Amino acid sequence: MQNLSIPASARTPAIDFDFGKNHLKLSGESYPEDVTEFYNPVFSALDAYLAALGQGSCRFDFELIYLNSSSAKAVMMLMDKLEAAAAKGAAVDVYWFYDKEDDTMQELGEEFGEDLENAKFHLEKMSG
Amino acid sequence: MLARELYDIRSILRKQGIIFAYSGYVTEAVLSGVGDAIKQKLLFDDADTKTLRSVFAVFVEQMQNMIRYSVETPKSGVIEPSYSGIRYGVLTIGQENGDYVIYAGNLIQRSDIKRLRERLSKIRGMNKEELRALYKERLRGDPEEGSKGAGLGFVEIARRASKPIDFDFTDVDDEYAFFTIKASV
Repeated sequence: MQNLSIPASARTPAIDFDFGKNHLKLSGESYPEDVTEFYNPVFSALDAYLAALGQGSCRFDFELIYLNSSSAKAVMMLMDKLEAAAAKGAAVDVYWFYDKEDDTMQELGEEFGEDLENAKFHLEKMSG
Repeated sequence: MLARELYDIRSILRKQGIIFAYSGYVTEAVLSGVGDAIKQKLLFDDADTKTLRSVFAVFVEQMQNMIRYSVETPKSGVIEPSYSGIRYGVLTIGQENGDYVIYAGNLIQRSDIKRLRERLSKIRGMNKEELRALYKERLRGDPEEGSKGAGLGFVEIARRASKPIDFDFTDVDDEYAFFTIKASV
């Protein structure tokens, strides 16, 4: 499967989905002009990957500095997809990295983590 | 005379502690540009990371609310999809008693006052834990009626604010009212 790599822009996060290594990452800031337009290709790529993953394992890193409320909805949809794959037997590790200076992002991570039952959730401080 | 008039406007704003004032048509490009200037200004102020991010977060939600919900389009009296993405609004950022204060205002239909007042009064009366629960509920739930976004924006503003949000309405004519929301960080 072709990897998905989208560089960060001022208002959109970097997407680095390395499907060969089963390591997916979303990092930076997210407050796109049009959330649907930005996230739809990301959802499609993730759906195709997770459908083929089966009982395999994968890791998803969220390293977000800031996200607006409509992006939070998109992040929730990503979490739901990961949780659904884990419920079907995949070994899914979700990492939420937050800036230790911003407890709002830590709380948001906790809130997303509460809804994961099958995927394993890890809440960690960003390094540096 | 020219300079004096404009300088007077500037002085009025400065006296109220306002460091940014925007009144005019707002687009996503305005949000990007003004947002960047705000970030830089707060960095020069040595604002801590959380304050900087919170002011920015409130600013983004308020600007996007204006772009989506202000009823004032470039063609007077016309609200239609061809004018989506450009709406008239007023936004200021200032300092009051050590807080950064963000005001946003735009025209709305008077018939929307009741719904907005109920929604905002509910949010205003909530503590941090209740806001957190409401945020999760809205994140999971369907968008509220009359809401083009996730219905989360006001909750996000209230969560980022260090004091309860404030809001007000003033009638402009039979059909329209001016809506203002204030958040302190």
